Amino acid sequence: MTRVALDLLGGDAAPEVVVDAAILVADQTPDVEVVLVGPVDQAEVLLVARGAAGRFRLVQASQVVGMDEDPARGVRAKRDATVRVAARLVRDGEADAMVSIGSTGAALAAALFTLGRLRGVSRPALAAVIPSAAGPLVFLDAGATTEATPQLLAQFALAGAALATVRLGIARPRVGLLSVGEEPGKGDELRKQAYAALSALPLEFVGNVEGSDVPHGGRADVVVTDGFTGNVLAKGLEGAAAMVTGVLLSALTTAPDRSSAATALLPALHEATAHMSPEELGGAVLLGVNGVVVVGHGASTARGVQSCVRVAAQAAREGLVPRIGDAMSALLDRTRAAGPDDSYDTDPAGGLT
Amino acid sequence: MTSDEVLAVVRAAVATVLEVDPSTVTRQTRLREDLRADSLALVEIVEIVEEVLAPRARAGFHIEDEDLDGLSTVGEAVDYAVARL
Repeated sequence: MTRVALDLLGGDAAPEVVVDAAILVADQTPDVEVVLVGPVDQAEVLLVARGAAGRFRLVQASQVVGMDEDPARGVRAKRDATVRVAARLVRDGEADAMVSIGSTGAALAAALFTLGRLRGVSRPALAAVIPSAAGPLVFLDAGATTEATPQLLAQFALAGAALATVRLGIARPRVGLLSVGEEPGKGDELRKQAYAALSALPLEFVGNVEGSDVPHGGRADVVVTDGFTGNVLAKGLEGAAAMVTGVLLSALTTAPDRSSAATALLPALHEATAHMSPEELGGAVLLGVNGVVVVGHGASTARGVQSCVRVAAQAAREGLVPRIGDAMSALLDRTRAAGPDDSYDTDPAGGLT
Repeated sequence: MTSDEVLAVVRAAVATVLEVDPSTVTRQTRLREDLRADSLALVEIVEIVEEVLAPRARAGFHIEDEDLDGLSTVGEAVDYAVARL
């Protein structure tokens, strides 16, 4: 049984959508136990109304870090915040993973303060499995750490490769570095130095990839970039996909004489793209912290939250954190063996309360 | 605790979070300007320092958020902590 702590108060439609998701998980995934973290009285009312009283372990947490709050200070000030309590359950071995669809920054801060970083990890990265024409790929950093160094991008590459193995089942994933051209000399100084750093790693580095390689896919199973660029590209892709969908729907539905075409095409389009839905792909995984943390979109439906729980349970079951820990430790040991480095010597303290 | 002992705690926390050689962290080191500590890193440092110092203080040890903005150097952080232990 894999136990997943689920933040009851995160998300636009919380707590209802979170409770609905927990029930979906319990009904469809008997080997996953959801632990609901939030106001117990509120959870009980919602569960009774859905005929699910007594089906879940409930853990009290009364505070929530709002989307408009400074995440670090919010988490620090609110020791009883749902994300902090959920992270504590993971740290103390009472849950194997945690999921939140609330503030990403709050989940990041709670994970850092409570779980701590893995040895050899400078900063965590947010890794999303995103759809491409050639199949899903791992994309990181989607926004956790906006300022990167070449060494940090090397860490992201190793962590992303570990996630690709767990999520996509690829034993030796191809890793690409996002830049403005395929040639090794393309890009700014960070990209040029990162190219050299990634080339020295024990993984299948395929060189630079361009922004268009992300939606097209096929060149890399893992695309690595800094959190600033990654967030811009991820939101750009999301917006472009919504725009194309909207234009297509409008073209097919505004003119009455096209209704037969729409009737034929829409189910086919839906079928062809169903596996690409964020609701199906689950949330982004926070890589580099000492525990499994999955962050979902704030607008997730119950099905989307259910997918996040599935992703979290899979990551816990398949040992994502130890895999990343081993890769990072090996990188740190190689760096130390190579002599004084110009970047880091990360052996972080454990998590706090 | 002596000022030097508190400095050792703060130095270790700063070195861990910001990945710098501990020997380069002095009382004069400016956290934001010299080490480019962002708000998340500062809070991470504070959490570590509190965790280490709290058991050694009779009435616990807590750094107020509003005070955090006024602490710009390692030395100021050390003096703040020593005064409250």
